[in-house]
Amino acid sequence: MLRKIGCAIALGAAIVACMGCGVEVGADYPAGYYGDYPPDGYIATTEPVYFGGRASYWYGGRWYYRDGGRWGHYGTEPSGLYQRRMQGAPVRRMYESPGRSAGHSGGRSGGRR
Amino acid sequence: MASMVCRVVIVATTLLSAGPTTGCGGSSLGTPPPAAATGVVQDDATMGLMEHHRYHHHGGVTLFIAMSLDTLGVSPEQRAAVEKIRADLQARMGPAREREQSLVAILADGLAAGSMDTAKVDAGVALVTAAAAGVHDASVDSLNELHNVLTPPQRAALVDKVESHWAVWQDANAEETGAAKAAGGRLAALTTDLGLTVDQVNKIRAGLGAGPTSVPRLDPQKIAADLQSFGDAFRGEKFDAKALTTASGADASMVGWGAARLAYFVEILSPVLTADQRANFAERLREHATHDPSAQSQGERNP
Repeated sequence: MLRKIGCAIALGAAIVACMGCGVEVGADYPAGYYGDYPPDGYIATTEPVYFGGRASYWYGGRWYYRDGGRWGHYGTEPSGLYQRRMQGAPVRRMYESPGRSAGHSGGRSGGRR
Repeated sequence: MASMVCRVVIVATTLLSAGPTTGCGGSSLGTPPPAAATGVVQDDATMGLMEHHRYHHHGGVTLFIAMSLDTLGVSPEQRAAVEKIRADLQARMGPAREREQSLVAILADGLAAGSMDTAKVDAGVALVTAAAAGVHDASVDSLNELHNVLTPPQRAALVDKVESHWAVWQDANAEETGAAKAAGGRLAALTTDLGLTVDQVNKIRAGLGAGPTSVPRLDPQKIAADLQSFGDAFRGEKFDAKALTTASGADASMVGWGAARLAYFVEILSPVLTADQRANFAERLREHATHDPSAQSQGERNP
């Protein structure tokens, strides 16, 4: 009897796990850090993604956009932005080597911050 | 048999349960790094931008606009037009940039020699300021063309970026004295770069605290008001840069203050540094003088 109950629980868990997977992609954000809105240094050096008629920035695990004079964020990740995020890290501009006045790189840095 | 079936189910459950972390985790490509690595306050790109804003003031708000184009994100159809406008803006800022280069070269020479020609420095600051006062008027057509080329969301994004540059510029050029002691300021950066001792830092801070007599006062509220005017106008359907009548004054004010403040900073530092530190700092100033990140190619996406 106990075995049957155990099997039923395990089977149920497997089904739930599969359902969860299907719901998660392109909808809920991945688990992780959710910070404040993007700081000025990030906005000034990062290329936005234009979606829904506004510039959006992937920062700290969420998509942020300007809403009038304030920052807003999408509660769940729109599939269009999810697709864009899967294409690669945001383009960022590296104006100078940080922490050292010399060694001007003037290049770009990728990578999600 | 029941036991066998149960084992199979349990194994299958284990494998399937791993799905969300592997299969769904296909979406884990986008899993963000832990908080410490997300650059909540200042990451390398931000630090690099601050370093840039400490030594490059020549175009004022127009420079912020030109820099904002670097990461605005334009379509392939827009790219040629935007690149031309960016090049035009750079050309309009050219005279101010050249004078700023000359000033920094004067400062570097004085630093290396251990003797600053203050009359020459003051004249250099005045020349930069005068040149900056003409940047906006010279850029009116380019700014109007830029407004025509961009979509409304791009215009709004550009305004956001310009305002962000202004915020970073203020942090980078914050006063080196006071309670906060400008953690992101010039002295904080050079303390590490030049290996300044605590005694040297204290002497420099005391010198800076005495207050420059020749540095014009900067009114951040006025600059902010000018940026607000620009932003409101640029977001609109109709835009005429010529109508921004206070922009030239704002540029001259910001650029003049930045140039004078840099000169004063170097003059205070010079007698406190060792010969090696002076040579090191002078070399770095020369590199800043010739540095032009806007001349770099645009548009590549990093892996």
